[in-house]
Amino acid sequence: MLNSPVFDLQRFSIHDGPGVRTTVFLRGCPLRCAWCQNPEGLECVETRDDWAPAVMREVCADRTYFEVSGGGLTLSGGEPLLEPTRAMTLLSAAKEERLHTCVQTCGAVPASTLLQVLPLVDLFQFDLKHVDEAKHREWTGAGTARIHANARLLVERGANVQFRMPVLPGINDDDEHLGRLATFLASLGVSALRLVPYHRHYLAKYEALNQPARLPALEAPTAPRLAQVIAGLQAHGLEVTVDGAHPG
Amino acid sequence: MSLHPANEAQRVRLLEAEHWLCTERADLYTQAHRETAGAHPSWRAARAFRHVFRGMSVRIEPDELLVGNRSSKLIAPPLALERGDFSFVFEHLFERLQAFGYRIEPGARAQLFGELMPYWEGQTVRSDKLDVLEAHGLTSALNLSPLAFYRRARSFGFDALAKLVPEGLPLPQLLKAMRAGAGDNVKGRGRCTDTQAHIVLGHRRVLEKGFSGLRDDARARIARGCTGEQREFLDAVELTCEAMRDFSQRFVELAHAQAAVEPDARRREELLQIAGRCARVPWLPPRSFEEAVQSVWFTQNAAIITYGAGSGITPGRLDQLLWPFYEADLASGALTKQHALRLLEELVIKLNNNVIIWPNLGGVELNHLGSDVENITLGGVDEHGEDATNELSYLFADAIENTNLATTASFRVSAKSPHAWVRRVAAMHQKTNSPAFLCDETAIAAMVRDGYSLEDARQYCLVGCVEPSGHGDTAGATGGTKVYFPTALDLVFNRGRTSFFGNQDGPDTGDPTSFTSFDDFLSAFYRQLQVMVDHVTEATNLRDAIWAARFHNPLISCTIDGCVENGQDMTVGGARYNFSAVGGGGLGTAIDSLSAIRVLVFERREVTMSELKDALGTDFRGQEALRRKLGAAPRFGNDDLVVDTLAAQVVARFCAMVSARKTVTGGTYKASLISYGLNVYEGALEPASADGRRAGAPLSNSMSPSNGAEQRGPTAAMNSLARIDQAAIGYGNSLNMRLPLGLLDSDKGVDSVAHLVRGYFRSGGFHVQFNAVDGKTLRAAQNEPEAYGDLIVRVSGYSAYFTRLGRTIQDDLIARTEFATC
Repeated sequence: MLNSPVFDLQRFSIHDGPGVRTTVFLRGCPLRCAWCQNPEGLECVETRDDWAPAVMREVCADRTYFEVSGGGLTLSGGEPLLEPTRAMTLLSAAKEERLHTCVQTCGAVPASTLLQVLPLVDLFQFDLKHVDEAKHREWTGAGTARIHANARLLVERGANVQFRMPVLPGINDDDEHLGRLATFLASLGVSALRLVPYHRHYLAKYEALNQPARLPALEAPTAPRLAQVIAGLQAHGLEVTVDGAHPG
Repeated sequence: MSLHPANEAQRVRLLEAEHWLCTERADLYTQAHRETAGAHPSWRAARAFRHVFRGMSVRIEPDELLVGNRSSKLIAPPLALERGDFSFVFEHLFERLQAFGYRIEPGARAQLFGELMPYWEGQTVRSDKLDVLEAHGLTSALNLSPLAFYRRARSFGFDALAKLVPEGLPLPQLLKAMRAGAGDNVKGRGRCTDTQAHIVLGHRRVLEKGFSGLRDDARARIARGCTGEQREFLDAVELTCEAMRDFSQRFVELAHAQAAVEPDARRREELLQIAGRCARVPWLPPRSFEEAVQSVWFTQNAAIITYGAGSGITPGRLDQLLWPFYEADLASGALTKQHALRLLEELVIKLNNNVIIWPNLGGVELNHLGSDVENITLGGVDEHGEDATNELSYLFADAIENTNLATTASFRVSAKSPHAWVRRVAAMHQKTNSPAFLCDETAIAAMVRDGYSLEDARQYCLVGCVEPSGHGDTAGATGGTKVYFPTALDLVFNRGRTSFFGNQDGPDTGDPTSFTSFDDFLSAFYRQLQVMVDHVTEATNLRDAIWAARFHNPLISCTIDGCVENGQDMTVGGARYNFSAVGGGGLGTAIDSLSAIRVLVFERREVTMSELKDALGTDFRGQEALRRKLGAAPRFGNDDLVVDTLAAQVVARFCAMVSARKTVTGGTYKASLISYGLNVYEGALEPASADGRRAGAPLSNSMSPSNGAEQRGPTAAMNSLARIDQAAIGYGNSLNMRLPLGLLDSDKGVDSVAHLVRGYFRSGGFHVQFNAVDGKTLRAAQNEPEAYGDLIVRVSGYSAYFTRLGRTIQDDLIARTEFATC
């Protein structure tokens, strides 16, 4: 992956959208979340021009598995929409190959980018990490204004959006925040939320990068705690699903 | 779902049972054999079977509804001493068996060693086989001179050689055993076992006609006019059928006797019903589901008694066979689904009573308590190509799950299979590791290529591990003969000698350091492989001639389509379809080795052939950097077009070599790429290989990529295998995969298993099975076997109890590639 905007490519991803998928991770991100699981993909690097064909070849190699499962290509990262030309390259190629497309985004990108990719994206998985402006800035380095506006924009344009919240004990799992999140979603006319429980598998990456992890003591939510979070959100009228990739 | 309490009791009894060596079958068979000297082999067999059925102990356990025991103890394999493989174990490894836990009554022990084994000495299949192989120059003697030991130690290292030595075996005894064991070795490190079998019983004919009907068929065939030779066989069939009636009649009497003194009214009633069923089947066709199940069990059990343990006697498509009876009884109200499930659970438990004693030196150590696979085939299409998955298919899945034993079951999947079926089987992995998925399209195509009619091909069942064969119409001998692809490489490096034996087993294909292109090397490899195949098929034909001349089985034969019509035992070619097998082991290891040679020696020129040869000849002593470099070359299992094409080519060539060979009964050989858990044992005698594998380390398993070779996930590995023309592999292949940890914790994960299966089969795959426990569990099970007594894993094509596998196989399983957590 030298000089490629793709820093990882993972086949047989089953928690990154419907069916069996191949997830392509693109470099660069406007945020710096304290809990980031892909620290190796945050920085932009100088990239060469001819990176896309090999990536698409590997994506298309699993076409049969996409077909039998309703799966396809997922873009992730970093923030896959940070450099729109890269995302457009992959998404256009995917559509030419009639693949289902999913984009995992933090929403902290220009609205024009979202509108540009919209026709080529079958599903947005849109992260809402914290709805409080100050807290969001404290934990991720950016505010919520643009993110919330983009969320509204996509919903109004009829995009297929699945909103997701990482469950971060002590950071965003308190009742007050859950209530405010529910209110925000209601204001968009959205009644469903997917939870992605925090896990610690990624900590070894920081060691490998010789960087200190920023939240070394944070533990994954316990099962009872998770159940409480779910119940709390349901009490606000939300349909809650939980991402399966969490430890039991 | 939980087991019926009666079945729970039976299950516990099975898991806790002591292992015995019972000599009843051996004793009675021998007596009859003594008395029939000079008679026709079909007749001798029939007389022996009758004597066994009339004289052996019969038992009815306190809670069973299905009756039919095979020996005087619950777990005691029927010992067919006439085969000779058991004698080898008893003669050389008896203390090992006892150390493993096999018990024997003092009287039986005295008889076994004092009378029975001496009687059979020199007149078993094995002894004849060893004589004839040696006479034809097909064996490769194990040289035990000091120089030979030195050379071997140089190639293998003392550690690897030490692993071959069972603990506590004194040296003279070990040497004697090794010399005797080496007699199984065909030139080129091929294997040719003493047994044939690996056959699907013709339960269909027995359910249709009963043994009375089969006897009538034999009589009618005689009446139409036959040769003297045919008459012998047909008379033997008649005697055998009547012997089956005698056998079942003994259970009628026993059931009545037990009922007469049974205090519990419910059990008394059960015993009377058992008596009623045994009075009817298997002599007459069954009239009910209960009778049908009893008939199947009775025939199955009797067949195993006649052939002996370790023979892969296969029940076939039980859901299809039992369906008409099930459907009718449900409709009439005579049967509830619940009661049917109870019976199926009991049947599954009984099919798990069957264990074997591996007759190999090292085999006893490395894979003791193998299961004598009685493979149940479920689901798939019918003879018209329509989906035939029925309620019984699902009930069997329930029964297998509930009983949670090491049941070998094959779940057929076609494009027409309902998603519910695939998902149901995928979900089984949450409870047990038993199920294997089989692809109808690939299997049927393979069968048709080998000459089956389309209707017969659609009825295929899996025999042994995953070999497709006809449903009661084939004498297939689907296992027992094998060669190893890495051996061909060893032979190239050593100009026709194997590192372990050191004899000139193959042609001198030239000094590999003089090869100027990879094609030179590959040609030499193919040439060695061809000679290995020639040797091992010639050996198998000689072995098969012994069976045909001396040891028939009119019981099994009369159930197989063709035998009565042709008036010939299955060993002589009476069955409608006749085949034999050559397995190929260690493909992944060989392909990775060839790939490393191509890339490093011939393309990048980073290693010379001379350096490589020296390193392989000394187990990489002082060459760790080179070893790692070899291991980093492109490997099979990563969806790499170049490597996969090589694999496809090697398999295609192998299949062509095999199917060009004729059997003694005029059939052809079929290739398989299966390991049956023996890849650990098979690697023990293989020196270091060019993929970086150390001397004595396990070979790759079946047709799977080598342990640790897969780096791009399950879909990439499946894509690699899909590049191979699997419909050309007549006797099947198996792909074993570890599922990502925790995959089965979610519904999505279970669905993903089903998607992998569908995707792989759509791409041309034939078989896949998954191990779905995590490494931590397996490691824990290694350390605390008592707490993990029922933990099941797949070991290439059959299910086994993890805690009872030898340590080396456990380690191999743990090392099987673990994909990163999804």
